[in-house]
Amino acid sequence: MTTATAPVTAPRAWRVSSAAGPARLLRIELRRSPMLWLLPVLAVLFYVSTYRPAMDNPPFWNIRSGTIQSHTMLVFAPLLAGAGAWVGSRDGRRGLADLVGVTAVPRWAGQVASWAAAAIWAEALYLAGVAVVYGVTAHQGAWGGPLWWPVTVGAATVAASCAVGFAAGARLPGRFTAGLAALVVFLALAGGAFAIQDNATYAQIWPLNVQGPFPPDSYGIFYPYLPDLAIAQVMFLAGLAAVALGVLGLPAGAGGRWLRAAAAAVTVAGLAAAGTAVGLAGTARVEPHGIVIPALHDAASDRATPYTPACSHGAVPVCLQPAYRAYLPEVTAALGPLLGQLAGLPGAPARVTQVVVTTVTSARENGIGFGGPVISGRPPVLYLPLSGLTLPGEGNAPAAQFTANLTGQDGTAIVNDLVGLPSGAPAGTGVTGVNFELGPRHAAQFAIANALDRVLNLTGPWSVPSGAHPPGRSSGAGTGGNGAAASGSGALAGSGAGARSGAGAGGGAAPSAAQQQAAVDRFATLSAAARHAWLVIHLAALRAGRVTLSEIP
Amino acid sequence: MNVEVAGVTRRFGRTKAVAGVDLAAGPGVLGLLGPNGAGKTSLLRMLATVIPPSSGTLRLLGRDPRGYAQRKQVRRRLGYLPQSLGYYPGFTVAEFVEYFALLKEMPPGRVPGAVAAAVERVDLGDKARARLRTLSGGMLRRAGIAQAIVNDPDLLLLDEPTAGLDPEQRVAFRTLLRDMGQRATVIVSTHLVEDVGAACSQVALMDAGRIVFHGTPDELTARAEGTDAAGDAPLERGYSAVLAAARHAATTGTPA
Repeated sequence: MTTATAPVTAPRAWRVSSAAGPARLLRIELRRSPMLWLLPVLAVLFYVSTYRPAMDNPPFWNIRSGTIQSHTMLVFAPLLAGAGAWVGSRDGRRGLADLVGVTAVPRWAGQVASWAAAAIWAEALYLAGVAVVYGVTAHQGAWGGPLWWPVTVGAATVAASCAVGFAAGARLPGRFTAGLAALVVFLALAGGAFAIQDNATYAQIWPLNVQGPFPPDSYGIFYPYLPDLAIAQVMFLAGLAAVALGVLGLPAGAGGRWLRAAAAAVTVAGLAAAGTAVGLAGTARVEPHGIVIPALHDAASDRATPYTPACSHGAVPVCLQPAYRAYLPEVTAALGPLLGQLAGLPGAPARVTQVVVTTVTSARENGIGFGGPVISGRPPVLYLPLSGLTLPGEGNAPAAQFTANLTGQDGTAIVNDLVGLPSGAPAGTGVTGVNFELGPRHAAQFAIANALDRVLNLTGPWSVPSGAHPPGRSSGAGTGGNGAAASGSGALAGSGAGARSGAGAGGGAAPSAAQQQAAVDRFATLSAAARHAWLVIHLAALRAGRVTLSEIP
Repeated sequence: MNVEVAGVTRRFGRTKAVAGVDLAAGPGVLGLLGPNGAGKTSLLRMLATVIPPSSGTLRLLGRDPRGYAQRKQVRRRLGYLPQSLGYYPGFTVAEFVEYFALLKEMPPGRVPGAVAAAVERVDLGDKARARLRTLSGGMLRRAGIAQAIVNDPDLLLLDEPTAGLDPEQRVAFRTLLRDMGQRATVIVSTHLVEDVGAACSQVALMDAGRIVFHGTPDELTARAEGTDAAGDAPLERGYSAVLAAARHAATTGTPA
């Protein structure tokens, strides 16, 4: 130690900055935050949990943003809570509580600076990850623009996770606090998943919940993204963070009377925000294009997003929403043989137009059903939803799989619709769980439909049930037009319009299985021209149920 | 007087760590001596506003630290080195000292110069950019002293500051103490009577939560005259004599 009393000029190499006090304090915390050590881990986890799954999905903004909100936060939130607890317990673990407790700056202010440094690093990494995913998505030519609400919810989750963990660490400093905080947050997220599957309305506030059970194309593509739920989630998370940080300012040693009053106000405001958000979530309704919270809802969001469809230029044009432009060749190729066979028939589609799934059915388990393809209008238009189909490239799925699924699921439904088999409802209203009953008058329709399916290779071979009742085309269209589960949470109980199960109690004598099979075989072995010619003449009668099996050539 | 203590008591449960202490101190270096458990650290923590007294009154730098606003004013002008100093392993020496300068609400413009001066005064200039985790125990102690003096305090409270310092550093530290004591009130809690003899103008001896002696080092030395008190140095013998007399008085109920 020296005895010099005159001011000493620091060597240039370590001269410190003269930035303003709070900024300088934050800068030191930023430079030495333990969160820095966690960043490489978080980056790797982001790549594994979010980037790769996101890239396995089509370049749709809604899917990518939903993946960011749900996948990233499931991994980040527990880790950030643990890291926050580690930072928050620093003074207690390091034996510095006395020293930092007797400084002029209120302890609360110092703690907020420590939390802010940790949160800033976590947010920076999170936003960098978002930038990469969005940048790649934009580079892939995604239609529309990025959705920012899911990103905002994620950012709020990052801040809240850090705050909750920090508060736990500051109040209960110890070497195990970080692990416990991470575990508690993970269990809370897992509990939220169970609660939301049990359809607890308030559980919609769960931060990983993007748009409930909706298929990705029902929001953000055909219709605007509804921010109602995201607003409530951000309110909830901000409130949670405010409560966590506010309670740190309540103890007597945290600061002066005014500062403690401010901390109390922050705590109360946080509680109010979180409570209000949960209450708002309790009023949420599952509507066709997303989750609606009446108090937060803007009716303008209900209007469909205008777009110019991307169309093929064949005999029967196929028009898709431009977000699906890349899949136009596959859709056209998949439907081409079928449309060619049906062209010119009365009621056959003159055009194919992609539509959004608009059906909302069961509230239990958030299940929603999807309507299948429907032919309606004059001239007839085939309204075709693509939801639930695995698109080419999605999860490394080959284009052939998409074609097979499209023809297998929707092709049969189209044929059913054309020959007059009950096939659901007009486009836009969607009826699910079709459990209609078939009578003997449908036997000829079934035979023709089965024969067409066979010659068009729409489905694999099936057996025609025999017995007292007409057969059900049980397997080929069994999964229904779009009965697959959508991304997001909640299993969906879809039963498509193509489902043909069971037999009904129709009037009259039922033909035998052999008779039915013979009719199918006869019609299938006709030449394409002969089939077409017969259909041109008899399709109207067939649809009306006035054709018998014996009349089938 | 920068420090005025009247009838201060501090209890921890049933244990009375400080039992009715009266003390006044102005500018200069006051050595606080006493055996383990005498109450030195508890008294110092009360003076540092870490803990409030259970009873009695304190006035520090002319202010009553019970009120937050006054306590804050005291803290701006306070330097404190706890007995067991924790540290942030990832911080450099300069950052550690700067961090506390900022927490003491020093004007930001003065911080760089003050940090540089404090680090140099504890002879850590060449280690200013070293992480604290890389320093020896003695260097960490000096970094702790640097954070205590960075705001040029009017009241400097040091609890066992020379623990871990090598002889050369202890000599330099005593010089620093004398220098600081010319303007500020410096209270040094220590077991090492030679530190007191070399650096302190006043000495207070505590035992069983009470101050049993308050005077100059010479007066403490004089207490050993005519006794067979143990000790290698005169001040040590004075220390032993005072303690023995205080304990005898406590058991017999007679004044020391």
